[in-house]
Amino acid sequence: MLVSWNWLKRYVDLSMPEPEVSQRLAMSGLNHEGTETIEGEVVVDLEVTSNRGDCLGHIGVAREIAVLYNLTLRKPEASPAEGNTPVEKSVRVTNVFTDACPRYTARVIRGCKVGPSPKWLVDSLRSIGIGTVNNIVDITNFVLMECGQPLHAFDLAKLSGREVVIRPARPGEQIEAIDHKSYTLDPEMCVIADRDRAVAVAGVMGGFESEVSSSTTDLLIESAVFTPLSVRRTARKLKLHSPSSFRFERRVDPEGVDWASRRCCELILEIAGGTLEQGVIDTAPDVSPREPVTLRLNQVPRLLGLDIEDREVRRILTALGCEELSADVDKIQVCPPSWRHDLTREVDLIEEVARIHGYDKIPDDSPIPVAASQKRPFDEAVEKIRQVLVGAGISEAMTPSVVPGDLDSMVSPWTDREALTTETAMLKGARTLRRSILPSLLESRHANQAASGTDAELFEIAHIYVPSSKTDDLPEECYCVAAVTGRDFFETKGIVETLIRRLGVAKRIDVRIAKVHGLDASSSVEVLLDGKVVGYLGALCSQVQKQMKLDRPTVCFELALEAIIATATLVPQFQSVSPFPTVSRDLNLIVDEAIQWGDLATSVRAAVGDFLADMKYLETYRDPNKDGAGKKRILMSIDLQSSDSTLTNAQADEIRGQVVDRCNRDHGAVLLG
Amino acid sequence: MALSEFIQSLDELESQAVAAFAAASDADSLEEVRIHFLGAKNGQLKSVQQQMTTIDKDDRKSAGLRLNEAKANIQASFDQALASLGQGRRKSGPALDPTLPGVPIRLGHIHPVTQTIEHLKEIMGRMGFEVVEGPEVEDPWHNFVALNIPEDHPARDPLDNFYLSTARKSGGGKTYAEGERLLRSQTSTVQIRVMERSKPPVRVISLGRVYRPDAADATHYPMFHQMEGLLIDRGVTMANLKTVLSMFATSYLGEEVKVRFRPSFFPFTEPSVEVDYWWNGSWIEFGGAGMVDPAVLSAVGYDPEEVTGFAFGLGVERLCMRRHGVTDIRDLFSGDMRFLSQF
Repeated sequence: MLVSWNWLKRYVDLSMPEPEVSQRLAMSGLNHEGTETIEGEVVVDLEVTSNRGDCLGHIGVAREIAVLYNLTLRKPEASPAEGNTPVEKSVRVTNVFTDACPRYTARVIRGCKVGPSPKWLVDSLRSIGIGTVNNIVDITNFVLMECGQPLHAFDLAKLSGREVVIRPARPGEQIEAIDHKSYTLDPEMCVIADRDRAVAVAGVMGGFESEVSSSTTDLLIESAVFTPLSVRRTARKLKLHSPSSFRFERRVDPEGVDWASRRCCELILEIAGGTLEQGVIDTAPDVSPREPVTLRLNQVPRLLGLDIEDREVRRILTALGCEELSADVDKIQVCPPSWRHDLTREVDLIEEVARIHGYDKIPDDSPIPVAASQKRPFDEAVEKIRQVLVGAGISEAMTPSVVPGDLDSMVSPWTDREALTTETAMLKGARTLRRSILPSLLESRHANQAASGTDAELFEIAHIYVPSSKTDDLPEECYCVAAVTGRDFFETKGIVETLIRRLGVAKRIDVRIAKVHGLDASSSVEVLLDGKVVGYLGALCSQVQKQMKLDRPTVCFELALEAIIATATLVPQFQSVSPFPTVSRDLNLIVDEAIQWGDLATSVRAAVGDFLADMKYLETYRDPNKDGAGKKRILMSIDLQSSDSTLTNAQADEIRGQVVDRCNRDHGAVLLG
Repeated sequence: MALSEFIQSLDELESQAVAAFAAASDADSLEEVRIHFLGAKNGQLKSVQQQMTTIDKDDRKSAGLRLNEAKANIQASFDQALASLGQGRRKSGPALDPTLPGVPIRLGHIHPVTQTIEHLKEIMGRMGFEVVEGPEVEDPWHNFVALNIPEDHPARDPLDNFYLSTARKSGGGKTYAEGERLLRSQTSTVQIRVMERSKPPVRVISLGRVYRPDAADATHYPMFHQMEGLLIDRGVTMANLKTVLSMFATSYLGEEVKVRFRPSFFPFTEPSVEVDYWWNGSWIEFGGAGMVDPAVLSAVGYDPEEVTGFAFGLGVERLCMRRHGVTDIRDLFSGDMRFLSQF
């Protein structure tokens, strides 16, 4: 809100320097955005919060200054001389849409002379960035910027039937606004109409046909209350935001409506001449009185932690326009002013007292009692995961959760359900709540490749949004860790296994070949923890790699954190170390191609039992000449250990024998040699 | 042979041998020196040793002692020469350039925003605040209604929020004209959820991503992280709020920091303030704060006559950028290694 320093002087004595006043306003609620001198006029830019519609005019700002400096506010009387013709004879006003328009007032001036505005008026408006149109329009703008009440002047001669109807727009009704553009309206919008057609979009913009022109002599001055929601929705639908709609959205003073109308007429008579018809047409002249608010004085220190003298409390409230109804030792009762919609409760009054008295007086040496606080297991686990990944040389990225739909559909391991979308795009057409972090990381990997040729290995820990099966439910938001690497499948798998083990997860980690959208069918797997799917791992399929313009093959994984952390032992528990040595035995088994390491490992584990300290896969090789086609050799090593004695070579050989037998029985494995 | 003569030749031999071993510059020359002095057949030591027989019986003991001593010293200087040659083992190649770079450890980098979040959690944890989280996709009840943001409030405007394009609710239940689901615009939603399920005292911080349709530029991004603090108990005052925030600032910035409150407006706090810190000679905007509005306390079933509370919220990115000297918020979300690898 731009405020002219000279304009303010009409309502309050300003002997203080402007920077000091601006600073005090900033510290009491009107944030000072800056001060400029435009053609000799000092103009202050103040930020007005949405609860303070009363400060969207010079008088409101002057009132704040008056309260801060204990000065007197001078508000013009606004008592224009009236003629003898009753206004009701000139025009009829019907309000059939009181939901959108609780109060509508109309005054009529006849015989005025439309022309250029006087210099003071042009200068005043120009200082706050409003251009001059003609004296009548300029006056309505002046009063708007004086008290914050939007006004509209119609050319009375253009209102057919000498009639004003406040009604919902008809379906498809058209209006040409004063910006010369045509707008299509709908019945949720409120219009001001004459007998035949809409002549203004209520609270938003006037119509071109009924606007004041150089040939206008008779005026209808509208001053009304339009409800914030109705104005906001209409302005938004039409993409028509004006100083008027801005103020209606923040509520106008229901009692100030008539003052503004009189003030406007007074200035028109003074500047453009003419005769004001007697009286006013007012659809709701009786503004319901404000509910009194009681302030218990002990609530001030209870909330603020600061004692403020009763006398000061009462002075502040009264100066702000509250009418003191009663004052006791322990409480006062006030009636808030009509322009302060935001003052309805005790706490609202306390805030007024606090901000005027000054927040700088609130002490900062009032500590809170100590309290225990615990770190969430989730946070501990995620910290460990970061350690592992950073240790593995992968860097953490953060990418937007809302992505373009075509990116999201590149890789989607978790669901086939259609992704959720936002109504408004977030960035460059991105409206899809991502179902996987992987596409974003792949995109970053590509961006690194393009920008600097870097083989970026990235991870991210964030939510994914899995649409619920029922449309009414919130989506399942699942914390995942995802990574993209330039390493091969087994190196990446090693990272996954290390990551899970580092969390103290003792359960078995398995993988199972699975079809994952976007990953290579022959080398993508589900990761299972004790038989339950907790993630996906695999190489990007060549088609997606090509689509994403990635030069290098990429292996990626995505794990659901909560399922893994649920099985974690975050406080490691010591296992006593066996004092007895381990004995190693190598096994070179010939098996069918179809037999997998996992199958053999299961059999080995079963055969050895408790003595198995470790089992290492060494290598696979094929010798079709010796073993025949379709066979392979798997070389492994097992470490055997007992917790209560040293295993003898004979015992170790016996166990080895059991392993061979078991693998033979389960998988037809034959020991080489 | 006289004892003194014998000892003198031993002394000479010892010093020659030690010097020769020390001078041996590679394995071959060392071996040569070894054979010369310690050789089993014709070594110098051997020949001196043989002279023992020519010494008087009475002096043999002293001679023997000295012989053993010399033997040990020569052997030791050989061992030392051998060891120091063994270390290098590339005697014939060029000299080592120890200023060549070491083999780097390949480590990843933790995102600066994560580092900031961890820092914030740690400071607030010391003041007894526990971390809570909640969903990012919210319903209007938690994002607006319970936070005292009425239907006609501009904050609910679709232009200022990411409403989801979901099907309208079928049948009963409350319906919201602007939309049934949206990406949360503040983490206060989590505080509502915490208060709904637990009784006072409450002392939590909620951290996470929030979403507002701002066009991306150097200082704005439609997604960012917020940290919000909430303390509800009997007798909590605005003075407590100011104290906690100045302690927080002093902990975070590492020096005594002054805090300033400016009046502001948030529907869920009353009074509401903007918080500034005096740091490095200017006031820095830090975030919003205030006393929890009694309507919010009532909405979650607390009695505003019994408890009071304060809440504050701040943007994590802004703190992160200030701390690390980042000037464009978009860099944080770029995934560019040239940026990430600096942290």
